[in-house]
Amino acid sequence: MVGFVVGLLVATVQSGSSLIYASLGELVAERAGILNLGVEGMMLVGALCGFVTTVVTGNPYLGFLVGAVAGMAFSSIHAFLSITLKSDQVISGVMLTLLGTGLTTFFGKPWVSKSIDGFGRVTIPVAVKLPYLGPALFNNTVPDYLAILLVPAVWYFLGHTNLGLEISAIGDDPETADTMGVHVFRLQYLAVLIGGALAGAAGAQLSLAFSKLWIGGMTAGRGWIAIALVIFAQWRPSRAIVGAYLFGGISALAIRTQGISFAVGHAFPFAGVINPALAFLTNSIILSTYPYVATIIVLAVVSQGELRERIGAPNALLQAYSRELD
Amino acid sequence: MRLSVDVSAREDIPPWLAYGAPVFTVIAALVVGSVTLVAVGVNPLAAYVDMFVVTATQPFGILQTLTKAIPLVLAGLAVYLPLRANLWNIGAQGQIYLGAIVGTWVGINVDGGAFTIPLLLVGAAVGGGLWGAVPGWLRAVYGVNEIITTLMMTFIATLFTNYLVRGPMQGGSGNFPQSASLPQAAQLPFIVGPLHVGIVVALLLTVAVWVLIKRTRLGYEIVFTGSNPDAAEQAGMDRARIYFTVLVLGGALAGLAGVVEIAGIQYRLRPGFSPGYGFTAIPIALLGRNGALQVLVASLFFALVFVGGSTITVNYGVPASIVSIIQALIILFLITAEFVKQYSVSLGIERAAAGASVGEGA
Repeated sequence: MVGFVVGLLVATVQSGSSLIYASLGELVAERAGILNLGVEGMMLVGALCGFVTTVVTGNPYLGFLVGAVAGMAFSSIHAFLSITLKSDQVISGVMLTLLGTGLTTFFGKPWVSKSIDGFGRVTIPVAVKLPYLGPALFNNTVPDYLAILLVPAVWYFLGHTNLGLEISAIGDDPETADTMGVHVFRLQYLAVLIGGALAGAAGAQLSLAFSKLWIGGMTAGRGWIAIALVIFAQWRPSRAIVGAYLFGGISALAIRTQGISFAVGHAFPFAGVINPALAFLTNSIILSTYPYVATIIVLAVVSQGELRERIGAPNALLQAYSRELD
Repeated sequence: MRLSVDVSAREDIPPWLAYGAPVFTVIAALVVGSVTLVAVGVNPLAAYVDMFVVTATQPFGILQTLTKAIPLVLAGLAVYLPLRANLWNIGAQGQIYLGAIVGTWVGINVDGGAFTIPLLLVGAAVGGGLWGAVPGWLRAVYGVNEIITTLMMTFIATLFTNYLVRGPMQGGSGNFPQSASLPQAAQLPFIVGPLHVGIVVALLLTVAVWVLIKRTRLGYEIVFTGSNPDAAEQAGMDRARIYFTVLVLGGALAGLAGVVEIAGIQYRLRPGFSPGYGFTAIPIALLGRNGALQVLVASLFFALVFVGGSTITVNYGVPASIVSIIQALIILFLITAEFVKQYSVSLGIERAAAGASVGEGA
């Protein structure tokens, strides 16, 4: 049982890292009022570019950096379309995912069979001896550690620096912020690009540290989960890490509970109803739907009336800001 | 001296721009898409001729395109209808799956004789409609953003399909993740070649949606609510009811898209039976946002991209993802065309920085 729990925790942290990067990035962009549904596409671009760089140079750190830069460059398409051209953020984001998936599958084909060493594990002495949490938290790759450190960094950036506060301000009320002399368009660009860089890093974490290979569509929906996570986290970095590990944990659990059956004894009241229900609810595929169900429930709960004020959804999310047109 | 970009809202859209925009969009997307073909050493002109001209001029290519257009029209309408009320049904893909699940189940388990096919169509519409009803209800009652919920519902539907074809609905020989095959009575009959009667369903529903939007009170309320929700509310229209209705109807249309693909072509439910029809429906609805008949035309075009795309995949050995690249580029230029339609952009050289131009920050 101890082995099972430790194994689960280790897998949780590893599969949660990419979600932390991607959801923090999306969080910053949404705080500035720009929804970017292209996370999946940006992650794939980051994953492929990072992988190719690592294959060519043998240096995963350079690969990770290139992945982030590639994600950032790719997100600039969304920034241009949604901020400068004021086009529908939904459609532009979906386009970015389609384009990213298409381009990386197209150009990534020759790289599918390549292998890399990728990031190795760095064990932090002493701390790793902690029961349960030690092996999960202190025996990871550099991008995993960076992901954890990024949470307080983003929290500090958004809540305690001028730039971060200005980003939140334009997401809530761009007109007032503009009147106060905040460069609305410039900061929206910045926020989208930060989001792109972090999504690219998320992809590179997957291809360089997590699976250490490249396959088309390897993000497998993590980009969409990251978008769900931002709502789940109610636009707060500290809750994003909880959500990322929760979602990562569920997917780790889904893999691990295959073949294990949960049941109550036959003498138990209503065993005939409870057992099939338990079998259904703990089925590994059904388990994988929980993050999505949870997101819908959270969204429904937080969208109700007076709660809305407290949840931190940017007021101007999805609204293109224009200064003098229309 | 500096270069200035001056952007101003257009008073009215010149007709050549209004009608030409979709055409320019497609051409621009193909031109940019050709870069990817050149990158893998394929002559783009020859590839495009094979893709479009050859496919669209041979009888078999035409029939295949028409067949491919069937689920695309229905899925396109599923996004188009909510879009008229200014709601984004991003999750048509999930509703397609639900329609396929219910339709397949009815087809296998219900022996309705001559009524089997109508029964499975109705079942699929109900299944898809229910899947659309959840985001519709959340939007109508609690104001929950339908973009995220329809998307989440898609993931749940995809996983649920995976569960069913590996568990309760698994059938056929071997242990493959698929359902049993539909009996003869549940398979849509062919009209000519690969073209099945699903095309009749698709055409009838296109007309039905056209009538709904242009000729009925509900349609008027949908469009009014879509363009100005507050004014619609002032005029006594029930916004919640309209939001709920369009998402349920959209879900039902998508559900039909799923079942015609199963009962018309594949005959079995498989995990990946829909190659992103629900997502292709988004550019289709966008291209055809002015009317149901335009949705039909846009679906035919995307069907051609699908069929022609698989032709050049075979002929030139290019990855099949060229299709999604072209789709994405079409959306990209469509958005750009929207901007050009609404604003006129002029370049000029000025002496001093004259005011803040909108291009600032670009």
